[in-house]
Amino acid sequence: MLQITNLHATVGDKPILKGLTLSLNAGEIHAIMGPNGAGKSTLGYVLSGRPGYEVTDGEVTFNGQNLLDLEPHERAAAGLFLGFQYPVEIPGVSNVQFLREALNAQRKHRGEAPLSGAEFLKVAREQAGALGMDMDMLKRPVNVGFSGGEKKRNEMVQMGIIDPALAILDETDSGLDIDALRIVGDGINRIMRKPDKAVLLITHYQRLLDYVKPDFVHVLADGRITRSGGPELALELERDGYKELAA
Amino acid sequence: MSDDMDIKDKAAWDAADRVADYEHGWSSDIETDFAPKGLTEDTVRFISAKKNEPEWMLEWRLKAFANWKTMTPPDWAKLNVPPIDYQDAYYYAEPKAKPKLGSLDEVDPEILRIYEKLGIPIAEQKLLAGVEGGEDGGLPQRRVAVDAVFDSVSVATTFRAELERAGVIFRSISEAIKEYPELVKKWLGKIVPMHDNYFATLNCAVFSDGTFVYIPEGVRCPMELSTYFRINAENTGQFERTLIIADKGSYVSYLEGCTAPMRDENQLHAAVVELVALDDAEIKYSTVQNWYPGDAEGKGGIYNFVTKRALCQGKNSKVSWTQVETGSAVTWKYPSCVLNGENSVGEFYSVAVTNNYQQADTGTKMIHNGKGSRSTIVSKGISAGHSNNTYRGLVRVAPNAEGVRNFTQCDSLLLGSLSGAHTVPYIEVRNPSAQIEHEATTSKISDDQMFYAQARGLNAEEAVTLIVNGFAKEVLQQLPMEFAVEAQKLLGISLEGSVG
Amino acid sequence: MPAPTRRDEAWRYSDIAAVESAWPLATPENIIVPVGGHYARTIVQETGSIHQIDIAIGKGATAAIHILNIGGNYGRVELNVTLHEGADFKLGGVQIGGNTQTLEIITTVTHAEPKATSSQIVRSVLADTATGTYLGKVAVARDAQLTDSVQSVKAMLLDRSATANAKPELEIYADDVKCAHGCAIGELDPMGLFYLQARGLAPADAKKLMLQAFVAGVFEGAVDEEMLTEAALKKLGELV
Repeated sequence: MLQITNLHATVGDKPILKGLTLSLNAGEIHAIMGPNGAGKSTLGYVLSGRPGYEVTDGEVTFNGQNLLDLEPHERAAAGLFLGFQYPVEIPGVSNVQFLREALNAQRKHRGEAPLSGAEFLKVAREQAGALGMDMDMLKRPVNVGFSGGEKKRNEMVQMGIIDPALAILDETDSGLDIDALRIVGDGINRIMRKPDKAVLLITHYQRLLDYVKPDFVHVLADGRITRSGGPELALELERDGYKELAA
Repeated sequence: MSDDMDIKDKAAWDAADRVADYEHGWSSDIETDFAPKGLTEDTVRFISAKKNEPEWMLEWRLKAFANWKTMTPPDWAKLNVPPIDYQDAYYYAEPKAKPKLGSLDEVDPEILRIYEKLGIPIAEQKLLAGVEGGEDGGLPQRRVAVDAVFDSVSVATTFRAELERAGVIFRSISEAIKEYPELVKKWLGKIVPMHDNYFATLNCAVFSDGTFVYIPEGVRCPMELSTYFRINAENTGQFERTLIIADKGSYVSYLEGCTAPMRDENQLHAAVVELVALDDAEIKYSTVQNWYPGDAEGKGGIYNFVTKRALCQGKNSKVSWTQVETGSAVTWKYPSCVLNGENSVGEFYSVAVTNNYQQADTGTKMIHNGKGSRSTIVSKGISAGHSNNTYRGLVRVAPNAEGVRNFTQCDSLLLGSLSGAHTVPYIEVRNPSAQIEHEATTSKISDDQMFYAQARGLNAEEAVTLIVNGFAKEVLQQLPMEFAVEAQKLLGISLEGSVG
Repeated sequence: MPAPTRRDEAWRYSDIAAVESAWPLATPENIIVPVGGHYARTIVQETGSIHQIDIAIGKGATAAIHILNIGGNYGRVELNVTLHEGADFKLGGVQIGGNTQTLEIITTVTHAEPKATSSQIVRSVLADTATGTYLGKVAVARDAQLTDSVQSVKAMLLDRSATANAKPELEIYADDVKCAHGCAIGELDPMGLFYLQARGLAPADAKKLMLQAFVAGVFEGAVDEEMLTEAALKKLGELV
C-alpha cells in the first residue's frame, strides 16, 4: 500500500530524514518508535504534505501513485489520514461543518455523491457515540477549548467518519489518561484493523501498543530506520531504552 | 581668554550690534555669555559664531531658521499648551556665567533632597550640581562615562582616554562638527530631516550643544555612555542635539538622565536625537526624564518637545528605546524606529508618570520597510492628580516588507478620578504576511491590593509605589541596573501626594 | 462647511475624491433609544454610500447595530453613540473589499454616565488594492464609573496590494473602568490551513472556510443573522 524508498527531507534547510525506507501492506499495523528528535513527526508531516517540509531525495508511492506529487487535500482524498500530535484549533468553524465539508470534498474528488446533512449526522453520531464523545462537542468549534485528551478523541472521531485507507497517527497516545487510552486504542482497532487498511503508529512509548498490537515495529533514529522486528522489539525498547538499539 | 575666544566673541558682538535697533533687538549692555532674549537670524549667527562653527554649519542653521519661520506648531497631540512666545526666551547661555560652587552645602537643598532620595553617590552629586572638583570625583566602579551638559555647553567628559583606545568617539557635538565634519555631515539631519516638524526645525537652527558618538565597526563599547542634561539658567531654552552612529557589528548602550532645579517660569526644551545602526549593530538608548514638572497647582515646569528617531539601516540591526518619563509639565515625545534593514529589530519600552497638572503625549512609531523586521512596544502610563497621559503610536508595514512582526501592549493605570489616560494607536498594514497585535488595558489600583499591602505594614504611599513598580516592571527591567534603581525610586517620588 | 481633508482625523484614510463628490452630506440620522428601550438595526452598505448615524441610548436601554460594509467603490458607516447610565451598546461589523474599494467603519462610543457597557467587534477582509479602515474611539467621561468596554478588531489581507488600517482609541477620564482593546492584523493561520487540507479540503475551500470562520460570530444574534451571513459569504466567494 505504502512504499517509502530512501526518503530524504529537510525542514528549513536542516536535514531531518536521511534515507528512510519502509513498506506497509494492506491489513498491517506498523509502529515507528524512536527517541525525541529522531524525525518521527517529520515523517508524518512529509507524508501528508505539510508546507515547509521539503523532500530532497527518494520516493513515496501510495497504492501505486506518486504520493509526493499530490497536494495535501489530494492525499486525503486518496485515503491518507494524519492524526495530528497537536490538533489545530479553528475558532468559528464547527466540527460538524468542518467534517461534512471535508468528507464531501473527498467524496467528490473520488467521484462519489456527497452525503446529505441527515446522512452525515447519522455517521457522525455513530462515530462520536463509539468514542464516548458528546454530540454537543461535535457542534462546538474545531478543537477550541478542548482538553488534550478531548482533542485526541476528536481526531479518532474524524478518522471514523472519514474512514481512510491509511492512517498515520502521530503520538496519538500523548496526553491521554489510562481510560482515554483504552477508548482511543479500541477506536483504532475498530476503524482500522481491517484487511484493506493499514496504520502507521508513531509513538515514543510502548503503552499504546498494549491496546493496538502492531504487526511490525521499527526504530527510527537520526532520520533512518535502524532496526525492524515484531512486537517483541517494542518491549525490548521499553526495557533497554533507545540508546542501545540506535547504536 | 584665548585669542580664539576673542575672535569668536568679536563675531558675536558684531552680530549683536547689527540688530541693536530691531524690534526684538538686543540691548547694548549684553553680556558675552548670553545671547540676548529673542530669536532672529542674528541669534542663529551669534550661536554659530560663539561656537566657532564652519561655514556649512551656519548655512545649515540659517536654512532651518528660514523654514521654521514658515511652519506652525503641531496641534494634534492631546496637550493643552499655552502659546509660547519664542521671542521671550534666551537661546544661548554659557555655563561659566554661573559661579562654581565650593561645596554641596551651597546647592539648593531641594535639589539635594531629590538627589538623596534617588540615591545618587556624593561624588556624582557634586558633578551634577556643578561643585568645584566634581569632575575629578568620577566613579570608575560604575563604568559610566559622563558627558555632563551644564546649561548649553558640555563642560566635562570622563573616561575619554579609555574610549579612544577602543576607537570610540565620544564628544560634544560642537567638537565633533570641527573634528569629524565628514561623519557629522553624512548623518546629521538624515534621520530626522531638517523640516521634520516645528520643534526639530527650531532645534536645527539654534541647537546649543549635545553629544556625538561613533562606534567603529565590530567594536563593543567598553562602558555605558551617559549624559546628564540639566537646565540651570532661567529662561534658557535647551536645544540639545545628539547623534549616535553604530557602525557594522558594533554595540553601544547610552544613558540619558535629566534632573532640573525648581523654577517658576516655563522653560522650553526641544531636543533632537538621531541614531543610526548599520549591519548587525545594536544601540540601546535609555532615558530617565525627571525635569521640573511644575508645582502642585500646575505652575511652572518644563515644556519638553523632543524628536527622537532611529534608523535601523543595516540588516539585523537593532535599536531599543527605554524611557522613564516622570518630569516636565508638558511632554511631547515619540522615540521611533525606521526599520529599513532586513530582519532589523525595533523596541520601545516606556513608563510615563503624570501627576498634578502634568501632561504627557508620548509613544513611538515603528516603520517597517525591511523584510522580516520585528518590533515590540510596551507602554505603561500612570496618571494621577489632574494630569493627562496619552500613548500615541504608529505601526506601519510597507507593501514589500514580508514577514513583519509587531506586538504592542499599552496599559494605563489611573490613580484617582480626576486624571485622564488615553491610548491612540495607529495601525497601517499593507502586506498580508504581517502579523500585528495590539492590546490595551486600563485599570486602577484595587482597594484589595492597597489593603493587602497596608496589612503587611506599608503606608499608603509605599503601597502605591510598590504596586506601580510592579505595573511598570516589564519596562524597568529593560534599564541598565544602576538606572533601574534610580527609576524605581523616581516613580515613588513622582507620585508623592497622589494618595491619602 | 468645506469637505474634509486627510488632515481631519476621522477622514485620514478616506477616499477623499469620493467624499468631495458626495459633499455636502445629509444631516446625520438621529436615533434616540428611550429609557429602558431596546433598539436593533442592520446596515448593509452595498452601493457605495456614506451613512452617518447619531445614537443616544437612554438609561438602562440597549442598542445593537450590525453592519455589513461591502459595496461600491467608497463605503462608509459612521456611528456616534452616547450611552447613558447602565445602557448597553453592541456593534458587530464586517467589511469585505476587493478591487479598488475603500471601505470604512468609524465609531465614537461615549460613556457619558456610569455603569454603561459597550462592545465592538469588527472584522475586515481585503483583497486586490482595497483599503479597509476601522477607527474606533471609546470615550469615558469624568465620573462615568463602572464603565465596561471591550473592543476586538481584526483584519485579514489576501493580497500584497491591499491595505488595512485600524485605530482602536481610548480616551478615559474615570478611574474605575474596565476597558480592554485588542487588535490583530495578519494572515490566515498556516497550520489551520494545513489541518483543513489534510482532512481533504482544496486550498481555496480551506481558505474560504477559514475566512468564514474569521467573520462568523460577528452576526450572531442579529435580527437578520441569516441574511447578513449569506451576503458576507457571497462576497467572500467573489474574492477567493
